[in-house]
Amino acid sequence: MTPQAAIALKPMTLPSALPSGRHPLRLLVPYLFALVVVAITVASAFLLPWLFPHASRSLLFLTGVLVVAARSSLGPSLLASFLSFLAFNFFFTEPVHTFKVADDGDVTTLAFFLLVSAISGNLASRMRQEMAERRASLERISQLYAFSRRLASAAGADEVLDALTDQLARLPGAPPGAIRIFLTATSEGPPGGSPPRETRRRGDDLALAPAEIQAAWERHGPEPVQRGPWLFLPLATDRGALGLVALADIQDPEQRESARSLCYQAAVALDRTRLVTDLAGARLAAETEQLRAALLSSVSHDLRTPLAAIIGSATSLLEYGAAFSPEDRRDLLTTVANEAQHLDRHIQNLLDMTRLGQGTLQLKRDWVDLRDLIAGALARLKEVLAGLEVEVRISPEVPLLWVHGTLIEQALVNLLDNAAKFSPAGGRIAIQAERDGQEVVIDLHDQGPGIPKEERERIFDMFYSVSRGDRANRTGSGLGLAICRGMIAAHGGQIQALPGEAGWGTRMRLRLPLVNAEITPQPEGTP
Amino acid sequence: MTTPAETLLIVEDEAQIRKFVRISLEAQGYQVLEARLGEEGLATCLASPPHLVILDLGLPDLDGMDFIRRLRAWSTLPILVLSVRASETEKIQALDAGANDYVTKPFGIGELMARIRVLLRKEERRATPSAQFSFPGLRVDLARREVEVDGAPVSLSRKEFALLSLLVASQGQVLTHERILREVWGAGHQEDTHYLRVLVGNLRQKLGDDPMRPRFILTVQGVGYRLAV
Repeated sequence: MTPQAAIALKPMTLPSALPSGRHPLRLLVPYLFALVVVAITVASAFLLPWLFPHASRSLLFLTGVLVVAARSSLGPSLLASFLSFLAFNFFFTEPVHTFKVADDGDVTTLAFFLLVSAISGNLASRMRQEMAERRASLERISQLYAFSRRLASAAGADEVLDALTDQLARLPGAPPGAIRIFLTATSEGPPGGSPPRETRRRGDDLALAPAEIQAAWERHGPEPVQRGPWLFLPLATDRGALGLVALADIQDPEQRESARSLCYQAAVALDRTRLVTDLAGARLAAETEQLRAALLSSVSHDLRTPLAAIIGSATSLLEYGAAFSPEDRRDLLTTVANEAQHLDRHIQNLLDMTRLGQGTLQLKRDWVDLRDLIAGALARLKEVLAGLEVEVRISPEVPLLWVHGTLIEQALVNLLDNAAKFSPAGGRIAIQAERDGQEVVIDLHDQGPGIPKEERERIFDMFYSVSRGDRANRTGSGLGLAICRGMIAAHGGQIQALPGEAGWGTRMRLRLPLVNAEITPQPEGTP
Repeated sequence: MTTPAETLLIVEDEAQIRKFVRISLEAQGYQVLEARLGEEGLATCLASPPHLVILDLGLPDLDGMDFIRRLRAWSTLPILVLSVRASETEKIQALDAGANDYVTKPFGIGELMARIRVLLRKEERRATPSAQFSFPGLRVDLARREVEVDGAPVSLSRKEFALLSLLVASQGQVLTHERILREVWGAGHQEDTHYLRVLVGNLRQKLGDDPMRPRFILTVQGVGYRLAV
């Protein structure tokens, strides 16, 4: 028999032995019921005399006794049979209205009454007891079932431990006075190694010396160990020990068995979640490694290209500056300044990506005018956008945005920078913003070569853009779009690359939800 | 244009930055004092007070904010802060601590010069106060509450005028949102940036200022506003 089944079949306290918590008057209810049934029997024997000839009257009383016996226990049914006999004797046997017994047959009736009530009362209470047991075991099974389900769906060790603690605290009978769970740091916890750390604590603050834990951990076997008030149970699977559970004040061997089986189930679940974590960790490490390699090559390329121009121009000026015409000197110096700014933008991108990657990006939302953001982005890209035509149309229905302004501005800078890179000389970049229900939609349209359909989604993928490196991008690492998506996503928005109008260029569509739009201030701006 | 022999102190630990700033400032006719450390800089301010301090926030010996607070304890010398990008909070903290303006590193010399000129001009004005301000295209008379754009009078609401006079009086020095909200709406409204955004929108409209290419009111994203000068 499995341990779970053992708990399930453990008998519950009987309903007849009422728990002390119940009101004492409740004890009298079955006896009152017996009285009522007998009274009804007497009344019906009187009221319907033509239906009940003398002989069948005793059957009527017998039926009453049976009803009482079936619905209660032995005591009330004996009371019912005794009362039925007295009533029968008093009202219906000669001499009427006395308790004298003239006929021996009536004595037999009494004996029958008592016998029937004893047998059926006993039978009924056994039946009810069994039913109560069934109900209790059903309850326990469904609790266990819920426990296993909780374990099966647990995504991490914390959830498993929560489920185990809850279940241990509800052990049938007297719950443990205190629960402590100790867990090793890794899945390969060798018994006898450093003791596991306490990760859960519930119940009384009973003292538990570290030496005790150490001792229990060292002589760790599959069997529970009792040390003082504490019962130590292993959290172990076939693959090894994961930890230890300590329960205070567990005396009942049944409880001990149930606790042990719960711990085993939890250990299996724990083992599974650890395996999943290990696996995810391994995958993440591999991806991080790949990303790092791609980034390194991208960074070394993208930082060195502008640096090469800067160093080249500066050394040319140093060496031969005197021989250059003033226009050439100025030209080279402009190169130095522009390339340095390019480098600065690239470093900003790397910083932003690190912040996004580490999840340390904190939104500092405030009310911001979209026009200010676009104006800021255009101002920052003055050199890049020189020679291009930029057209901005913002619908007056676009309200103030509740966003982290510099991040959205950075996203716009990256989009514009990208659009400018791919625009033909003298090309046009159009920016349009409109309100669409509870969103603001910002479109950025360029006249570049466009993006092939299959790449439209992947260009926002950091890994894709980085590993693609400079093949597709004329300049820049391609981090820009990934960062852009990260910043927009941090605001709950979306960004998509769509084909441009009439098959020309690209339309970058940015959707930002209008948070707090309902409290967008009144146009007067004066409270 | 510049008053010769105005003395500027640059407190910065990077020798390269000190060098190019010094060369450029001296070429503009300023006298330049240099300090590598914060304590040195404070000592120089005491011994021979300059007209303006250029302060790098990342000093090896002293937190930039401490420098500002300690100097502000006894001096109203204009302070121009050099700060790295990406931290609006740091800039706002420096401004709240008493710095007058900031330039984000890396910066072009033109930007630095513009900020220095604004602060020195403002310092000069403090000596000879006047209620009239003239900028290209904009004339404001604070006493008479008159505003003219390109020679045409413009009528402003009370709050619009309050905002404009604040910007005008600061002469191109940056004003934080918090400060504008406090001065125009009063204490307790420091969080109500949306009032400010709407008010600036209205004011720009009345001044005929294109928000995409502002002539008069510049937005400093995440920090505040300044007047274009």
